[in-house]
Amino acid sequence: MTAQSPVTARRVKMAGLYAVLIILLLVAVVPLLWALSSSFKPVSEIFVYPPQLWPSHGTLQNFSDLFNNVPFPRWLWTSLWVSIVATAVAVFFCALGGYAFAKYRFPGQRILFDIMFSSMMIPFAVILIPLFVEMARIGWADQYVALIVPWVAPAFGIFMMRQFIVQSVPDEVIEAARIDGASEFGIFLRVVLPIVRPALGALAVWNFLNSYNSFLWPLVVLSTEERFTLPLGLNSLVGSYSREYGLVMAGTILAAVPTLLLFFFLRKQLIEGLTVGSVKG
Amino acid sequence: MAQLTRAAPERVLPRAKPRRNSRQYRAAIPYLFISPFYILYVLFLLGPTVYAIWLSLHEWAGIGPSRWVGFSNYTRLFRDTAFHQAVINTLWYVGASVFIVTPLALIVASALNTRGLRGRDIFRMAYFAPMVLSPVVVSLIFTIIFDQNFGLLNAALRGLIGIKPVNWLGSPTWAKVAIILLLIWRWTGYLVIYFLAGLQAVPRELYEAAEIDGAGPLRKFREVTVPMLKPVTAFVSITVFIGAAQIFEEPYILTKGGPGQSTMSIAHFIYRAAFLREDFGYAAAAGVLLFIVVFVLTRVLAHFFGVGREERA
Repeated sequence: MTAQSPVTARRVKMAGLYAVLIILLLVAVVPLLWALSSSFKPVSEIFVYPPQLWPSHGTLQNFSDLFNNVPFPRWLWTSLWVSIVATAVAVFFCALGGYAFAKYRFPGQRILFDIMFSSMMIPFAVILIPLFVEMARIGWADQYVALIVPWVAPAFGIFMMRQFIVQSVPDEVIEAARIDGASEFGIFLRVVLPIVRPALGALAVWNFLNSYNSFLWPLVVLSTEERFTLPLGLNSLVGSYSREYGLVMAGTILAAVPTLLLFFFLRKQLIEGLTVGSVKG
Repeated sequence: MAQLTRAAPERVLPRAKPRRNSRQYRAAIPYLFISPFYILYVLFLLGPTVYAIWLSLHEWAGIGPSRWVGFSNYTRLFRDTAFHQAVINTLWYVGASVFIVTPLALIVASALNTRGLRGRDIFRMAYFAPMVLSPVVVSLIFTIIFDQNFGLLNAALRGLIGIKPVNWLGSPTWAKVAIILLLIWRWTGYLVIYFLAGLQAVPRELYEAAEIDGAGPLRKFREVTVPMLKPVTAFVSITVFIGAAQIFEEPYILTKGGPGQSTMSIAHFIYRAAFLREDFGYAAAAGVLLFIVVFVLTRVLAHFFGVGREERA
């Protein structure tokens, strides 16, 4: 009896722990499943009491409306290509900048790094108005370049790459390549980049999510409905099809699919990449 | 790219080689590599920040000439009850993020860090999932979940504890609660990954040493976990603080800032002033105030956690 009770106590504690964790898991996931289920419902079934988890008259009408009656495919395509282009350029610039901060010693390094680091603390809302005015002045209002160019060298990405390169690229490898007569850019391209490939994946996912999900900036910059990105398009659906929540839910589900897939397949890299700089401060 | 095109002929001409290795050229390399960030920084961050200050001292409708008005935009802000409301609302969101979401994330991370736990990856992934979705998507989904008559939340509350339907999005108080619930839902799992990474980096020997000293779970938490997690906690608090200070999408989509202005955030106030009321100088002034507050409070938070002190040592 006395020997058994600590084991039993531990079992009870673990069971309680699992129960709490599973409840939290449901809290996290049920809203998404609810949206999924609603996307197959006709409107009459979304606004009923009690709510039905399983649609009783399941329909694909919402999805076909999405493709036939609204410019959904165009919004999706815009969001995808804009985010991919922005991400490709950002990964290159961040890796290059992170490499310089990690492996070179140069005058002004400390202050330049501090400037970059503290730029993350400027809330976007502060520059929203002046940046929009600037875009309008240089003729980038309602243009996709405005969604891409200002964001292709994010400070967090450079910081993330610096942390990775400090940790995973030994100085000796770089020195060896230098002695072999490789150019500085060649070392970056052929020695450093292959070593930090997992980190590039993490950075790419992070940047893609940011770009694909962004709302306030596209809302301000883009004005033509055909040029909208997906979040803008979804928002405009609520305005024009106010009670068509099945349609809106179908749109949110399809919008979520690329990000969820990307996260599912690259979650290890992403989580490692996000936390690399935080543990050691 | 300039780098590549210049390097190519040099390989053919040996005479060019010394130049490539010349001190001046070598010294310029790191600056070249970091230049994209600083070019964009000057054009699209520093420039606009300075321009924001200039704009905030002018009256301008977005077109036509602007007029110097000194600090009157600021004095107007201090008297504008809508702005007061936006500041108070944003403080609620920030407070909830720092004092509810952050501790909650630490607790969940500690639970996930339990030795011998199975399915850790599944839990962590599910908790993180809300953060990979666009805030627009999330807010649209929660619009139907918070629906007073047909929403899932009210149905669940009625089934579980039998309370009357709550008017989540229609009452000024409940709307704020609804947005805070949404913040908790979206951010907690994201912060969990940072705390979990921090916890996993704490050496087991420290806990074992504390156990030998006869420390219980609470003392171990206070004397080992909390100090070891200081850098992560600093990072997380500052991240969530800056995130919440500029919150826009959730109240904008869920409630349009309403009812009235009861859920409007500062970012929403700025957006409305500029793009719906064509009061650009006024909007810029609100942005400058937000900047000052965020900057000062970030410094205070960083000081509180001692960020940078060890780094310089």
